[in-house]
Amino acid sequence: MPYPTEPVEILGAWVGAFLTIAIYSYILYRENLVFRFAEHTYIAVTFAVSIVQAVSMIQNNIIAPLSNGQLTYIVPIILGLMLYTLPFKQVRWMARYTVSFLVGIGFGVAIRGSLTASIIDQVLGSITPPINGSPLDWFNYIWIGLGFILVTMYFTFTVEHKGAYYYPTRLGRYILMLGLGVYFGNTVQFRMAMLSGRVQYLLQVFKIIPWP
Amino acid sequence: MGEKSIWVKLGELDRRVLYWTLFILLAVPFLYPLGLPVSISETTLTLYNYIETLGPDDVAVVGIQAGVSAWPEVLPGLVAVTKHLVSRGVKIIFWGFYTDVDMTMNAIKARVPQLKWANEQVGSGDYKYGVDWVYIGLLAGGEAAVAQLADDLHSVIKADKFGTPADQIPLLQKVHNAADIALVVTSDTGDYGDYYIRQWAVRYKTKVAEVGIAMNYSTFIPYYNAGLAVGALKGVRGGAEYERLIGSLGEGTQRMDALNVSHLLTIFAVLLANICYFMTRGKKGGGG
Repeated sequence: MPYPTEPVEILGAWVGAFLTIAIYSYILYRENLVFRFAEHTYIAVTFAVSIVQAVSMIQNNIIAPLSNGQLTYIVPIILGLMLYTLPFKQVRWMARYTVSFLVGIGFGVAIRGSLTASIIDQVLGSITPPINGSPLDWFNYIWIGLGFILVTMYFTFTVEHKGAYYYPTRLGRYILMLGLGVYFGNTVQFRMAMLSGRVQYLLQVFKIIPWP
Repeated sequence: MGEKSIWVKLGELDRRVLYWTLFILLAVPFLYPLGLPVSISETTLTLYNYIETLGPDDVAVVGIQAGVSAWPEVLPGLVAVTKHLVSRGVKIIFWGFYTDVDMTMNAIKARVPQLKWANEQVGSGDYKYGVDWVYIGLLAGGEAAVAQLADDLHSVIKADKFGTPADQIPLLQKVHNAADIALVVTSDTGDYGDYYIRQWAVRYKTKVAEVGIAMNYSTFIPYYNAGLAVGALKGVRGGAEYERLIGSLGEGTQRMDALNVSHLLTIFAVLLANICYFMTRGKKGGGG
């Protein structure tokens, strides 16, 4: 894509660059007025976009069918409005019906596929030996089995972690820490990728490298 | 008071020095690409191989559940997969559950020029809006909506982003439920991958693939190992791998060098901090 040529697009790119630098001024310098301005602008813009999207969605998915005579669509509107009674003590009981409806639907829908997706298929996948697999596949197979047993032992609190239980539970704790370390490493990688994206954007806006 | 040792001084280093170093180092690979190698992961390859089996009679869904803030991680992968789908002639339905989904859709469209809006001139090889691809816009309702989309697409989708009724859009007339969809590509920073697995893959055997942030990869891999997912891209690295597979190097490949440099700095900082800690442990004014 070529560098923006429309004045509005150029302005947008430069505003983006300014706000990026303003936000990073917090860690590269310290808290300051420019950072505060960017922070509040970000929250305000996010809120504004959400409102516009929500109104547009209600218009397309609720109001339009309702105006076409599909009267059942009045139900979600009523349930939605009932949520707004929360700040008023006398009538906040009405919000409970909406919340219970949402929780009930959410729980019922989620449980439908959970047993297969989160338990049965994953257990089957874990206990099925990689017959034609590489040595690494076999290592993973044994590692998963061993890790499962040892970490489960670590979380068994009805037996004191000493004697024959000492070393397995200790090992289970280390495996758990290793797993959490991997999660944390992935989190760091995500943040680094985000930062590299902003650095790349700044270089593009300043025409140091080509526009994507 | 005696003078502080070099280890104490390093241990007390202002964190802003590290941030500035990181900020500057990240810029270097964009100016002078290092071309560090990126090997192809199995989960990336399986997704690529599956899309290779699809054709113009198939319909794929691209679910955008990642916001603009996650673009550096997910956009290269989303663009690469979309390019691949387009090159195979697969029909595509885009939708999203994130409020800024319009911006992500525009970013994908800007990078995949074959996607044409209804008011744009369509040339040879281009994707005609409504026939070859369609954009639904923002959906709400979380897992309940994902489940209902699987059961009856038209009960959730009444119109596209521009208000055109669903029954007037040729592509949407072809699909009714998850059984009509050959592939769901879910791009998210949260739980939507789980939703599609539970509601689409388990119940309708629809192929599901994740183009998510790196953090999601380790939680999605058990689904892949259990045969419930057809593939997964690991953040920007997955995007870079996919760009290599389709032979269209882009932002993911550019960013991988920067990411590698940042990892080297992180490893260096962790090692240095630990060395400083152990060198000063137990000493007055030290770390222990």
